[in-house]
Amino acid sequence: MPHLDIIDLNASYGSVGVLKGVNLSVERGEVVSLVGPSGSGKSTLLRVLVGLTPPSGGRIVVDGTTIDYRSKSSLKAARDRMAIVFQQYNLFQNMDVMRNVTIAPVQIKGRQRAEVEADATKILARMGLADKHHSYPDQLSGGQQQRVALARALALKPEILLLDEVTSALDPELVNEVLDAIRALAAEGMTMLIVSHEMAFVKEVSSKVVMMDKGQVVEAGPPREIIDAPKTDRAKEFFGKILRH
Amino acid sequence: MNYTFQFGVAFDVLPQLLEGAVLTFQMGVVTFAGGSILGLFFAALKTYGNRPLRGLAQAYVVFFTNTPALIQIYFLYFGLPEFGILWDNFVCVMIGLILNSGAYLTEIMRAGFLSVRATEMEAAEALGFNRLQQIRHVIVPHIAKTIYPALANFFIVILVMGTSIGAVVGVDELTGQAINLSTENYRWLEMFTVAAGLYVILTLVASIALALFGRWAFRVKAKVF
Repeated sequence: MPHLDIIDLNASYGSVGVLKGVNLSVERGEVVSLVGPSGSGKSTLLRVLVGLTPPSGGRIVVDGTTIDYRSKSSLKAARDRMAIVFQQYNLFQNMDVMRNVTIAPVQIKGRQRAEVEADATKILARMGLADKHHSYPDQLSGGQQQRVALARALALKPEILLLDEVTSALDPELVNEVLDAIRALAAEGMTMLIVSHEMAFVKEVSSKVVMMDKGQVVEAGPPREIIDAPKTDRAKEFFGKILRH
Repeated sequence: MNYTFQFGVAFDVLPQLLEGAVLTFQMGVVTFAGGSILGLFFAALKTYGNRPLRGLAQAYVVFFTNTPALIQIYFLYFGLPEFGILWDNFVCVMIGLILNSGAYLTEIMRAGFLSVRATEMEAAEALGFNRLQQIRHVIVPHIAKTIYPALANFFIVILVMGTSIGAVVGVDELTGQAINLSTENYRWLEMFTVAAGLYVILTLVASIALALFGRWAFRVKAKVF
Protein backbone atom coordinates (compact mmCIF):
# COMPACT_ATOMS: atom_id res chain seq x y z
CA MET A 1 0.00 0.00 0.00
CA PRO A 2 1.49 3.40 -0.96
CA HIS A 3 2.08 5.86 1.86
CA LEU A 4 0.50 8.62 -0.16
CA ASP A 5 -1.74 7.99 -3.15
CA ILE A 6 -2.99 10.82 -5.33
CA ILE A 7 -5.70 9.74 -7.71
CA ASP A 8 -7.04 11.81 -10.59
CA LEU A 9 -6.64 15.03 -8.54
CA ASN A 10 -8.16 18.26 -9.86
CA ALA A 11 -7.92 21.77 -8.49
CA SER A 12 -8.58 25.23 -9.85
CA TYR A 13 -8.20 28.89 -8.94
CA GLY A 14 -11.56 30.32 -9.93
CA SER A 15 -12.25 29.06 -13.44
CA VAL A 16 -8.60 28.35 -14.21
CA GLY A 17 -7.77 24.66 -13.87
CA VAL A 18 -4.38 24.19 -12.22
CA LEU A 19 -4.36 20.47 -11.57
CA LYS A 20 -5.99 18.36 -14.25
CA GLY A 21 -6.12 14.76 -13.21
CA VAL A 22 -2.84 14.23 -11.37
CA ASN A 23 -1.96 10.62 -10.51
CA LEU A 24 0.97 9.93 -8.25
CA SER A 25 1.85 7.46 -5.57
CA VAL A 26 4.59 7.70 -2.98
CA GLU A 27 5.84 4.67 -1.07
CA ARG A 28 6.82 4.82 2.59
CA GLY A 29 10.32 6.29 2.98
CA GLU A 30 10.44 7.37 -0.62
CA VAL A 31 11.70 10.79 -1.71
CA VAL A 32 9.74 12.01 -4.70
CA SER A 33 10.73 15.21 -6.49
CA LEU A 34 8.33 17.27 -8.53
CA VAL A 35 9.94 19.18 -11.36
CA GLY A 36 8.56 21.20 -14.22
CA PRO A 37 8.08 24.76 -15.43
CA SER A 38 6.47 27.52 -13.36
CA GLY A 39 2.71 27.23 -13.36
CA SER A 40 2.77 23.49 -13.94
CA GLY A 41 0.94 22.90 -10.65
CA LYS A 42 3.77 21.54 -8.48
CA SER A 43 3.27 23.97 -5.60
CA THR A 44 -0.49 23.77 -5.93
CA LEU A 45 -0.28 20.01 -5.50
CA LEU A 46 1.49 20.48 -2.15
CA ARG A 47 -0.98 23.18 -1.12
CA VAL A 48 -3.90 20.88 -1.86
CA LEU A 49 -2.33 18.11 0.22
CA VAL A 50 -2.22 20.29 3.37
CA GLY A 51 -5.63 21.82 2.72
CA LEU A 52 -4.57 25.36 1.75
CA THR A 53 -6.21 25.01 -1.68
CA PRO A 54 -9.39 22.95 -1.92
CA PRO A 55 -9.39 20.10 -4.46
CA SER A 56 -12.22 20.11 -6.99
CA GLY A 57 -12.07 16.43 -7.81
CA GLY A 58 -10.17 13.21 -7.32
CA ARG A 59 -8.93 11.51 -4.19
CA ILE A 60 -5.99 11.73 -1.81
CA VAL A 61 -5.31 8.62 0.22
CA VAL A 62 -2.83 8.57 3.10
CA ASP A 63 -1.95 5.14 4.43
CA GLY A 64 -5.20 3.70 3.13
CA THR A 65 -7.43 6.47 4.48
CA THR A 66 -9.11 8.83 2.02
CA ILE A 67 -8.98 12.45 3.18
CA ASP A 68 -12.17 14.47 2.97
CA TYR A 69 -10.99 18.07 2.61
CA ARG A 70 -14.45 19.44 3.36
CA SER A 71 -14.49 17.81 6.78
CA LYS A 72 -12.63 19.67 9.52
CA SER A 73 -11.76 16.52 11.45
CA SER A 74 -10.50 14.71 8.35
CA LEU A 75 -8.43 17.74 7.35
CA LYS A 76 -7.01 17.93 10.86
CA ALA A 77 -6.03 14.27 10.64
CA ALA A 78 -4.32 14.97 7.30
CA ARG A 79 -2.39 17.89 8.80
CA ASP A 80 -1.28 15.63 11.64
CA ARG A 81 0.43 13.41 9.09
CA MET A 82 1.75 15.93 6.58
CA ALA A 83 3.76 19.07 7.22
CA ILE A 84 4.77 21.67 4.66
CA VAL A 85 7.78 23.98 4.44
CA PHE A 86 7.40 27.05 2.26
CA GLN A 87 9.74 28.84 -0.12
CA GLN A 88 9.58 32.04 1.95
CA TYR A 89 9.89 30.19 5.32
CA ASN A 90 6.74 31.96 6.64
CA LEU A 91 8.01 32.01 10.21
CA PHE A 92 6.05 33.85 12.88
CA GLN A 93 7.96 37.11 13.07
CA ASN A 94 6.90 38.00 16.58
CA MET A 95 8.04 34.73 18.13
CA ASP A 96 11.55 33.55 18.87
CA VAL A 97 12.93 30.36 17.32
CA MET A 98 11.91 28.10 20.20
CA ARG A 99 8.35 29.41 20.21
CA ASN A 100 8.04 29.13 16.43
CA VAL A 101 8.94 25.46 16.72
CA THR A 102 6.90 24.60 19.82
CA ILE A 103 3.71 26.61 19.41
CA ALA A 104 1.83 24.14 17.23
CA PRO A 105 2.64 20.99 19.24
CA VAL A 106 1.81 22.76 22.52
CA GLN A 107 -1.18 24.89 21.55
CA ILE A 108 -2.74 22.79 18.82
CA LYS A 109 -1.90 19.26 19.84
CA GLY A 110 -1.98 19.96 23.58
CA ARG A 111 1.30 18.20 24.32
CA GLN A 112 3.29 18.99 27.48
CA ARG A 113 5.50 22.04 27.01
CA ALA A 114 8.52 20.49 28.73
CA GLU A 115 8.39 17.41 26.54
CA VAL A 116 7.92 19.46 23.36
CA GLU A 117 10.81 21.76 24.28
CA ALA A 118 13.07 18.79 24.89
CA ASP A 119 12.15 17.45 21.43
CA ALA A 120 12.59 20.87 19.87
CA THR A 121 16.02 21.22 21.43
CA LYS A 122 17.09 17.98 19.75
CA ILE A 123 15.59 18.95 16.40
CA LEU A 124 17.18 22.41 16.50
CA ALA A 125 20.55 20.89 17.36
CA ARG A 126 20.27 18.62 14.33
CA MET A 127 19.46 21.65 12.21
CA GLY A 128 22.59 23.36 13.52
CA LEU A 129 20.59 25.93 15.45
CA ALA A 130 21.44 24.92 19.01
CA ASP A 131 22.56 28.44 19.88
CA LYS A 132 19.62 30.22 18.26
CA HIS A 133 16.73 29.26 20.56
CA HIS A 134 16.02 32.83 21.58
CA SER A 135 16.75 34.59 18.30
CA TYR A 136 13.95 36.17 16.34
CA PRO A 137 13.48 35.47 12.60
CA ASP A 138 14.68 38.95 11.63
CA GLN A 139 17.98 38.25 13.38
CA LEU A 140 18.67 35.12 11.28
CA SER A 141 19.99 34.55 7.77
CA GLY A 142 17.71 33.07 5.12
CA GLY A 143 19.32 29.66 5.45
CA GLN A 144 18.91 29.72 9.22
CA GLN A 145 15.28 30.81 8.88
CA GLN A 146 14.58 28.00 6.45
CA ARG A 147 16.13 25.50 8.86
CA VAL A 148 13.89 26.88 11.62
CA ALA A 149 10.95 26.33 9.28
CA LEU A 150 12.11 22.73 8.75
CA ALA A 151 12.42 22.29 12.52
CA ARG A 152 8.93 23.72 12.99
CA ALA A 153 7.54 21.18 10.53
CA LEU A 154 9.48 18.30 12.13
CA ALA A 155 8.29 19.23 15.63
CA LEU A 156 4.83 18.09 14.55
CA LYS A 157 6.29 14.61 13.96
CA PRO A 158 4.89 14.34 10.46
CA GLU A 159 5.00 11.10 8.48
CA ILE A 160 5.23 12.96 5.20
CA LEU A 161 7.23 16.14 4.68
CA LEU A 162 6.31 18.49 1.85
CA LEU A 163 9.03 20.90 0.71
CA ASP A 164 7.98 23.71 -1.60
CA GLU A 165 11.05 25.20 -3.33
CA VAL A 166 12.74 25.54 0.02
CA THR A 167 16.04 26.77 -1.39
CA SER A 168 14.74 29.12 -4.10
CA ALA A 169 14.80 32.22 -1.91
CA LEU A 170 18.28 31.59 -0.51
CA ASP A 171 21.70 32.94 -1.38
CA PRO A 172 23.69 30.29 -3.29
CA GLU A 173 26.06 29.91 -0.36
CA LEU A 174 23.21 29.12 2.02
CA VAL A 175 21.55 26.53 -0.20
CA ASN A 176 23.78 23.69 0.88
CA GLU A 177 23.17 24.04 4.59
CA VAL A 178 19.46 23.50 3.95
CA LEU A 179 20.05 20.69 1.47
CA ASP A 180 22.30 18.93 3.99
CA ALA A 181 19.47 18.98 6.51
CA ILE A 182 17.12 17.47 3.91
CA ARG A 183 19.68 14.82 2.92
CA ALA A 184 19.91 13.74 6.54
CA LEU A 185 16.12 13.40 6.77
CA ALA A 186 16.00 11.40 3.56
CA ALA A 187 18.69 9.06 4.88
CA GLU A 188 16.54 8.45 7.95
CA GLY A 189 13.64 7.27 5.84
CA MET A 190 11.28 10.23 6.05
CA THR A 191 8.72 10.17 3.24
CA MET A 192 9.17 13.38 1.29
CA LEU A 193 7.58 15.18 -1.60
CA ILE A 194 9.91 17.87 -2.86
CA VAL A 195 9.37 20.68 -5.32
CA SER A 196 12.78 21.85 -6.41
CA HIS A 197 14.76 23.39 -9.22
CA GLU A 198 18.09 22.14 -7.85
CA MET A 199 18.50 19.40 -10.45
CA ALA A 200 21.75 18.01 -9.10
CA PHE A 201 20.18 17.68 -5.67
CA VAL A 202 17.00 16.17 -7.11
CA LYS A 203 19.04 13.59 -8.97
CA GLU A 204 21.04 12.69 -5.88
CA VAL A 205 18.32 12.51 -3.26
CA SER A 206 15.19 11.33 -5.10
CA SER A 207 14.02 7.79 -5.56
CA LYS A 208 11.52 9.05 -8.08
CA VAL A 209 11.25 12.17 -10.21
CA VAL A 210 7.92 13.41 -11.47
CA MET A 211 7.85 15.88 -14.32
CA MET A 212 4.72 18.03 -14.39
CA ASP A 213 3.39 20.38 -17.02
CA LYS A 214 0.08 22.21 -17.36
CA GLY A 215 -1.41 20.50 -14.33
CA GLN A 216 -0.60 16.96 -15.37
CA VAL A 217 2.13 14.41 -14.82
CA VAL A 218 4.13 14.17 -18.03
CA GLU A 219 6.59 11.52 -17.01
CA ALA A 220 7.61 9.77 -13.80
CA GLY A 221 10.37 7.36 -12.91
CA PRO A 222 13.85 6.99 -11.44
CA PRO A 223 15.93 10.19 -11.68
CA ARG A 224 18.44 8.77 -14.16
CA GLU A 225 15.70 7.80 -16.59
CA ILE A 226 13.66 10.97 -16.29
CA ILE A 227 16.42 13.57 -16.17
CA ASP A 228 19.07 11.91 -18.35
CA ALA A 229 16.90 10.01 -20.80
CA PRO A 230 13.39 11.46 -20.92
CA LYS A 231 10.99 9.73 -23.30
CA THR A 232 8.34 12.37 -23.95
CA ASP A 233 9.00 15.42 -26.14
CA ARG A 234 7.88 17.82 -23.40
CA ALA A 235 10.30 16.35 -20.85
CA LYS A 236 13.12 16.30 -23.42
CA GLU A 237 12.51 19.97 -24.14
CA PHE A 238 12.38 20.91 -20.43
CA PHE A 239 15.48 19.04 -19.31
CA GLY A 240 17.31 20.02 -22.50
CA LYS A 241 16.79 23.68 -21.63
CA ILE A 242 17.68 23.61 -17.95
CA LEU A 243 20.67 21.30 -18.21
CA ARG A 244 22.28 23.49 -20.81
CA HIS A 245 22.81 26.16 -18.13
CA MET B 1 -1.11 90.89 37.76
CA ASN B 2 -2.44 91.26 41.24
CA TYR B 3 -3.21 87.63 41.85
CA THR B 4 -1.25 86.07 44.71
CA PHE B 5 -0.78 82.34 44.36
CA GLN B 6 -1.39 80.54 47.63
CA PHE B 7 -0.16 77.05 47.06
CA GLY B 8 -0.41 76.34 50.77
CA VAL B 9 -4.12 75.77 50.14
CA ALA B 10 -3.32 73.33 47.37
CA PHE B 11 -0.99 71.34 49.59
CA ASP B 12 -3.69 71.08 52.23
CA VAL B 13 -6.01 69.40 49.75
CA LEU B 14 -3.32 67.44 47.93
CA PRO B 15 -4.56 64.10 49.33
CA GLN B 16 -7.99 64.72 47.76
CA LEU B 17 -6.42 65.69 44.44
CA LEU B 18 -4.26 62.58 44.55
CA GLU B 19 -7.35 60.49 45.16
CA GLY B 20 -8.78 62.08 42.03
CA ALA B 21 -5.59 61.28 40.13
CA VAL B 22 -5.78 57.63 41.18
CA LEU B 23 -9.39 57.42 40.01
CA THR B 24 -8.40 59.09 36.71
CA PHE B 25 -5.72 56.47 36.22
CA GLN B 26 -8.09 53.61 37.04
CA MET B 27 -10.73 55.00 34.68
CA GLY B 28 -8.10 55.31 31.96
CA VAL B 29 -7.00 51.68 32.36
CA VAL B 30 -10.54 50.27 32.45
CA THR B 31 -11.62 52.41 29.46
CA PHE B 32 -8.59 51.32 27.50
CA ALA B 33 -9.09 47.64 28.35
CA GLY B 34 -12.81 47.71 27.54
CA GLY B 35 -12.27 49.78 24.41
CA SER B 36 -9.54 47.42 23.24
CA ILE B 37 -11.82 44.41 23.52
CA LEU B 38 -14.55 46.23 21.58
CA GLY B 39 -11.97 47.46 19.09
CA LEU B 40 -10.55 43.99 18.54
CA PHE B 41 -14.02 42.55 18.07
CA PHE B 42 -15.23 45.19 15.59
CA ALA B 43 -11.89 45.23 13.75
CA ALA B 44 -12.22 41.45 13.28
CA LEU B 45 -15.76 41.99 11.94
CA LYS B 46 -14.57 44.71 9.57
CA THR B 47 -11.69 42.58 8.31
CA TYR B 48 -13.19 39.10 8.14
CA GLY B 49 -16.96 39.61 8.41
CA ASN B 50 -19.51 39.30 5.61
CA ARG B 51 -21.27 42.36 4.22
CA PRO B 52 -23.91 42.86 6.96
CA LEU B 53 -21.33 42.37 9.74
CA ARG B 54 -18.90 44.77 8.07
CA GLY B 55 -21.76 47.26 7.75
CA LEU B 56 -22.61 46.88 11.44
CA ALA B 57 -18.99 47.51 12.47
CA GLN B 58 -18.77 50.48 10.12
CA ALA B 59 -21.99 51.99 11.51
CA TYR B 60 -20.62 51.67 15.05
CA VAL B 61 -17.36 53.38 14.12
CA VAL B 62 -19.03 56.19 12.17
CA PHE B 63 -21.61 56.89 14.87
CA PHE B 64 -19.18 56.97 17.79
CA THR B 65 -16.31 58.80 16.11
CA ASN B 66 -18.52 61.43 14.49
CA THR B 67 -20.33 62.53 17.65
CA PRO B 68 -18.69 64.02 20.76
CA ALA B 69 -18.05 61.71 23.70
CA LEU B 70 -19.76 64.29 25.91
CA ILE B 71 -23.02 63.97 23.98
CA GLN B 72 -22.80 60.18 24.13
CA ILE B 73 -22.40 60.34 27.89
CA TYR B 74 -25.24 62.90 28.23
CA PHE B 75 -27.40 60.57 26.20
CA LEU B 76 -26.73 57.72 28.64
CA TYR B 77 -27.04 59.92 31.73
CA PHE B 78 -29.98 62.16 30.84
CA GLY B 79 -31.55 60.25 27.95
CA LEU B 80 -31.82 56.67 29.15
CA PRO B 81 -33.81 57.53 32.31
CA GLU B 82 -36.62 58.60 29.94
CA PHE B 83 -36.76 54.95 28.91
CA GLY B 84 -36.71 53.80 32.51
CA ILE B 85 -32.99 52.90 32.55
CA LEU B 86 -31.33 54.59 35.47
CA TRP B 87 -27.57 54.14 35.77
CA ASP B 88 -25.43 56.12 38.15
CA ASN B 89 -23.10 58.78 36.78
CA PHE B 90 -19.94 56.68 37.05
CA VAL B 91 -21.45 53.78 35.12
CA CYS B 92 -22.69 56.17 32.41
CA VAL B 93 -19.26 57.76 32.04
CA MET B 94 -17.45 54.43 31.87
CA ILE B 95 -19.87 52.92 29.34
CA GLY B 96 -19.76 56.10 27.28
CA LEU B 97 -15.96 56.26 27.32
CA ILE B 98 -15.58 52.57 26.49
CA LEU B 99 -18.02 52.78 23.56
CA ASN B 100 -16.35 55.94 22.30
CA SER B 101 -12.76 54.73 22.59
CA GLY B 102 -13.78 51.32 21.20
CA ALA B 103 -14.71 53.04 17.94
CA TYR B 104 -11.32 54.74 17.61
CA LEU B 105 -9.55 51.57 18.69
CA THR B 106 -11.45 49.63 15.99
CA GLU B 107 -9.70 51.69 13.34
CA ILE B 108 -6.30 51.38 15.04
CA MET B 109 -6.70 47.61 15.39
CA ARG B 110 -7.92 47.26 11.82
CA ALA B 111 -4.66 48.73 10.58
CA GLY B 112 -2.96 45.99 12.60
CA PHE B 113 -5.15 43.26 11.10
CA LEU B 114 -4.32 44.47 7.60
CA SER B 115 -0.60 44.35 8.36
CA VAL B 116 -0.60 40.64 9.21
CA ARG B 117 1.22 38.86 6.43
CA ALA B 118 -0.91 36.37 4.54
CA THR B 119 2.01 33.95 4.46
CA GLU B 120 2.14 33.75 8.27
CA MET B 121 -1.58 33.00 8.29
CA GLU B 122 -1.07 30.24 5.74
CA ALA B 123 1.73 28.76 7.79
CA ALA B 124 -0.51 28.81 10.84
CA GLU B 125 -3.32 27.16 8.90
CA ALA B 126 -1.03 24.45 7.55
CA LEU B 127 0.21 23.81 11.10
CA GLY B 128 -3.38 23.11 12.11
CA PHE B 129 -4.46 26.38 13.76
CA ASN B 130 -8.18 27.09 13.48
CA ARG B 131 -9.43 30.65 12.94
CA LEU B 132 -9.69 31.52 16.63
CA GLN B 133 -6.25 30.09 17.38
CA GLN B 134 -4.84 32.08 14.46
CA ILE B 135 -6.32 35.27 15.93
CA ARG B 136 -5.04 34.47 19.42
CA HIS B 137 -1.54 33.23 18.62
CA VAL B 138 -0.63 34.95 15.37
CA ILE B 139 -2.79 38.01 14.73
CA VAL B 140 -3.11 39.53 18.19
CA PRO B 141 0.60 39.28 19.09
CA HIS B 142 1.49 40.61 15.66
CA ILE B 143 -0.85 43.58 15.78
CA ALA B 144 0.03 44.24 19.42
CA LYS B 145 3.59 44.77 18.28
CA THR B 146 2.81 46.65 15.07
CA ILE B 147 0.30 49.08 16.49
CA TYR B 148 1.72 49.30 20.01
CA PRO B 149 2.94 52.90 19.59
CA ALA B 150 -0.48 53.98 18.29
CA LEU B 151 -2.19 52.16 21.16
CA ALA B 152 0.12 53.75 23.73
CA ASN B 153 -0.62 57.20 22.31
CA PHE B 154 -4.32 56.54 22.43
CA PHE B 155 -4.07 55.45 26.05
CA ILE B 156 -2.62 58.87 26.88
CA VAL B 157 -5.48 60.54 24.98
CA ILE B 158 -8.01 58.58 27.03
CA LEU B 159 -6.15 59.28 30.25
CA VAL B 160 -6.07 63.04 29.76
CA MET B 161 -8.97 63.98 27.51
CA GLY B 162 -11.35 61.09 27.95
CA THR B 163 -11.59 60.67 31.68
CA SER B 164 -11.89 64.40 32.46
CA ILE B 165 -15.30 64.42 30.79
CA GLY B 166 -16.48 62.56 33.88
CA ALA B 167 -16.27 65.83 35.80
CA VAL B 168 -19.26 67.17 33.85
CA VAL B 169 -21.62 64.60 35.33
CA GLY B 170 -20.06 64.71 38.79
CA VAL B 171 -17.49 61.91 38.77
CA ASP B 172 -14.73 62.85 41.21
CA GLU B 173 -11.72 62.05 39.07
CA LEU B 174 -8.86 64.54 38.97
CA THR B 175 -10.67 67.32 37.08
CA GLY B 176 -13.89 66.72 39.02
CA GLN B 177 -12.00 66.81 42.30
CA ALA B 178 -10.33 70.10 41.30
CA ILE B 179 -13.75 71.61 40.51
CA ASN B 180 -15.21 70.37 43.80
CA LEU B 181 -12.36 71.78 45.86
CA SER B 182 -12.39 75.12 44.03
CA THR B 183 -16.05 75.65 44.77
CA GLU B 184 -15.24 75.20 48.44
CA ASN B 185 -12.07 77.29 48.76
CA TYR B 186 -12.36 79.57 45.70
CA ARG B 187 -8.67 78.96 44.84
CA TRP B 188 -9.49 77.98 41.24
CA LEU B 189 -6.13 78.87 39.79
CA GLU B 190 -4.17 76.91 42.39
CA MET B 191 -6.44 73.88 42.19
CA PHE B 192 -6.20 73.66 38.42
CA THR B 193 -2.50 74.38 38.33
CA VAL B 194 -1.84 71.50 40.70
CA ALA B 195 -4.33 69.30 38.83
CA ALA B 196 -2.56 70.10 35.55
CA GLY B 197 0.77 69.23 37.18
CA LEU B 198 -0.63 65.91 38.34
CA TYR B 199 -1.87 65.17 34.79
CA VAL B 200 1.63 65.80 33.48
CA ILE B 201 3.11 63.47 36.07
CA LEU B 202 0.49 60.80 35.28
CA THR B 203 1.15 60.92 31.54
CA LEU B 204 4.92 60.97 31.99
CA VAL B 205 4.82 57.94 34.24
CA ALA B 206 2.40 56.18 31.91
CA SER B 207 4.49 56.97 28.80
CA ILE B 208 7.68 55.67 30.34
CA ALA B 209 5.97 52.56 31.70
CA LEU B 210 4.36 51.89 28.30
CA ALA B 211 7.62 52.35 26.43
CA LEU B 212 9.48 50.00 28.77
CA PHE B 213 6.68 47.44 28.61
CA GLY B 214 6.63 47.65 24.81
CA ARG B 215 10.35 47.01 24.63
CA TRP B 216 10.10 44.09 26.99
CA ALA B 217 6.96 42.44 25.62
CA PHE B 218 7.04 43.18 21.90
CA ARG B 219 10.57 44.31 21.14
CA VAL B 220 9.09 47.67 20.12
CA LYS B 221 11.90 50.08 19.51
CA ALA B 222 10.27 52.90 21.45
CA LYS B 223 12.18 55.81 22.87
CA VAL B 224 11.63 56.31 26.57
CA PHE B 225 12.45 60.01 26.24
